[in-house]
Amino acid sequence: MNSGELDILLVEDNQDDMDLALHAMKREKLANHIFVARDGEEALDFLFCRGAFAHRSFEHPPKLVLLDLKLPKVDGMEVLKQVKSDPRTKIIPVVIMTSSKEERDLVASYHLGANSYIQKPVDFEQFRETVKTVGLYWLVINQPPVVEAPNLAGLAHDHH
Amino acid sequence: METIEVTAKHVIEAETSARTFALFEQDPLLAHYRTARGAVAQDEDALRHLTADNPDQQRRLDALAPQVRAALEFAERMVAKRQQTHAAPGADEILETERLMDTVRATTQEMHAEETRLLSQRTQRTTAGRRLTSFIIVVGIFVGAGLLALARLAVNREIDVSARARAQIGILNSELEQRVEQRTAALQSEIAERKQAEDAAKESLATSETALKELADQKFALDQHALVAVTDVQGTITYANDKFCAVSQYSEDELIGQNHRILNSGHHPKEFFQQMYHTIANGKVWHGEIKNRAKDGSIYWVDTTIVPFVGADGKPRQYVAIRADITERKRADEALHESQERFRLLLDGVKDYAIYMLDPGGHVVSWNEGAARLKGYRSEEILGKHFSCFYVPEDREAGKPACELQESLAKGRFEAQAQRVRKDGSAFWANVVITPLYDDSGALRGFSKVARDITQQKADEREIRKLNDELEHRVVERTAQLETANKELEAFSYSVSHDLRAPLRHISGFSQMLVEEFGSTLDPGAQHYLDRIQAGTQKMGLLVDELLNLARVGRHVLNRQATKLNAIVAEVVAILQPDTAGRQVEWVIADLPAVECDPVLVKQVFQNLLANALKFTRPRADGNAQAGASAPPSHAIIEISHKEEEDGQPVFMVRDNGVGFSMKYVDKLFGVFQRLHSAEEFEGTGIGLVTVQRIVHKHGGRVWAEGELDKGAAFYFTLGVGKQAETKSNEATAGGRL
Repeated sequence: MNSGELDILLVEDNQDDMDLALHAMKREKLANHIFVARDGEEALDFLFCRGAFAHRSFEHPPKLVLLDLKLPKVDGMEVLKQVKSDPRTKIIPVVIMTSSKEERDLVASYHLGANSYIQKPVDFEQFRETVKTVGLYWLVINQPPVVEAPNLAGLAHDHH
Repeated sequence: METIEVTAKHVIEAETSARTFALFEQDPLLAHYRTARGAVAQDEDALRHLTADNPDQQRRLDALAPQVRAALEFAERMVAKRQQTHAAPGADEILETERLMDTVRATTQEMHAEETRLLSQRTQRTTAGRRLTSFIIVVGIFVGAGLLALARLAVNREIDVSARARAQIGILNSELEQRVEQRTAALQSEIAERKQAEDAAKESLATSETALKELADQKFALDQHALVAVTDVQGTITYANDKFCAVSQYSEDELIGQNHRILNSGHHPKEFFQQMYHTIANGKVWHGEIKNRAKDGSIYWVDTTIVPFVGADGKPRQYVAIRADITERKRADEALHESQERFRLLLDGVKDYAIYMLDPGGHVVSWNEGAARLKGYRSEEILGKHFSCFYVPEDREAGKPACELQESLAKGRFEAQAQRVRKDGSAFWANVVITPLYDDSGALRGFSKVARDITQQKADEREIRKLNDELEHRVVERTAQLETANKELEAFSYSVSHDLRAPLRHISGFSQMLVEEFGSTLDPGAQHYLDRIQAGTQKMGLLVDELLNLARVGRHVLNRQATKLNAIVAEVVAILQPDTAGRQVEWVIADLPAVECDPVLVKQVFQNLLANALKFTRPRADGNAQAGASAPPSHAIIEISHKEEEDGQPVFMVRDNGVGFSMKYVDKLFGVFQRLHSAEEFEGTGIGLVTVQRIVHKHGGRVWAEGELDKGAAFYFTLGVGKQAETKSNEATAGGRL
């Protein structure tokens, strides 16, 4: 992992949740390359390399996006929708991590192309376990496609 | 006879006038005397002629002639003496005239008596003979009169007069002969006539015999048809024919001599028979229908004609009654009348329906009480009128009356709900049915119309529609309200799941971090409090999750599908496996049928019930700690089975040998947040059984529980009337057939 690479984009507006998540990741040695976006707009700017993140390149997408649904400005569902409907970003794994276990949120998320849906357990021990499992799976076990060329997203294929 | 009387009168007149002249010497009297004297002469001739055939009368005429002569001579003398002397006659002369007159009177009276006798004798004979006799008498009298005239001529001593008289007699004689001949001819013709009449009578006698035969035949025919009886004027039966006997059931012997009253049925009023007797007693024919009673008491009707036979005194002698048995017709009439009456009563009894009939042209021909009430017309006002007057003017102008009749003809029936008008012009809503009526030959007889006032019904319908609209409006409103409330509730549970769980997570997370990072520096008291915080957050997390779950069940749309319950139970047991760690739990799972249900929800039911069973059998987990017959079982036994059919539905049961419950709290089992145990004894939220109940009710099923403290509890439920999937045994049977 070089410095230009980002492992995880955590989209979380709540400071407590953010702290707990970061604490859990740190303990599991997953927090080396984490960027936290505090609302949906920031998350989109980051992912689409614009605004404050214009210097970023599509060549270096995050390996995993942990997305909360309830977000200020642009909510998580909208973020998911834009990411998954744009050829440049649609291959980025997005895991919904939320308090809600609402059926409609679940269904909507998968319909929009979420790669996974996880309810944050109340119990911190369980939460930590969940974060560990998710991180291990998407960053270590899962094999992402090789991004061949920047701005050729139109030719990008879903290798699944 | 008349001539005799006239002669006597003339003689007396002559005598009297001569005598009076002699007394008073008045010329008119003398003229009178002369006239009478002349008449007497003529009378004598006539009498001679008339009595020619009777020797006795001729003899009396012979005696009369000198008497007349003597009387007339005395009168002549008296007249001459008075004319000469102008002296009044003396008393002796008056007496002499009286004596002479009496002699003449006596003789003429004798002759008159004889003629009267003869006349009465001859009256007995035939009319022809009588006429002849009278003629002969007349002739005789004329002859007598003629002789008297001759006598008078001789007395007058006038020769020329005598010759003239003789010639006159000749003429008279020839006239007489001529008349005799005429009469003889007339007599002969009458005899011929009589002969003819006799022949005719003979002929008619022969004809009468034929007529009698015919009459007998006719009587026979009459006897075949009619009841014939004859009664006297008192009504006593004097004759009755066979048919009369047969119908009345009395023998002839029983009837003859009896008064006709024995047949009286009592049906007719007294006046009826009074009128009848009044008619026939006046010699008039009576005709009528009588209801009689036969011998056995049965009733028969006779159409009766009574003919009175009137005697010479103009009064009825007897009555002949000819009757025809019309019992059958009367019975039919009575039955028909009764049936008509019943029908009329029925129709008039129907007050709420107008029932009336129309002729083929649509004119009202019958009208019931209900029609009068509904339409306001009395029967006599509406009969004969056209039924179009019941329609509102627009319908009438549009030709609806005729159209509706046509439609009833085409379809056999016409029914409509329409506005109609009453007599007073007010409109009302009516349900009308028109049915054409045909006779046996299929010809249209008219139409029946039945109408009912549905004004109230219409008003009710309007009211119902209005209420319905209001209700629908309210339902829409309420639905909107409920939808809003539901959305609010959903928003609430959404925010609960997000917003309540997050702080819990934070409490849990940070207290855990505190323990991990600073645990070594904390004293045991602080450590204990942190543990309590952890327990609290966990419990609240559970509570929130279960509440959300309950809310989800409520919103969940039932999705029935054939479900193998054993598979679900096995899944649940696997899920619960961690909870049995370190415990000895015996699962007794029967072969459960496959049922149509929502597998997601039913899984929840088993999960909640089996979790409860595990929880409340926890005291049995300590194996063989206690022993003995009365001791509780050493391990937990959880039984899942089903009973056959309750209302056609299988009943599922989850039973345990746990701590059980007292049946007096059974009602609290399914209440939200209701708990029968303390949280220290058995953890729980009080929502699990409520969720079970909600799912079972959603399936249209029933859930209940039985329990005994320290012995165990059993929960039963059904899953409603969803189409039952084939059971294993059915599959086996089907397979066997294949």
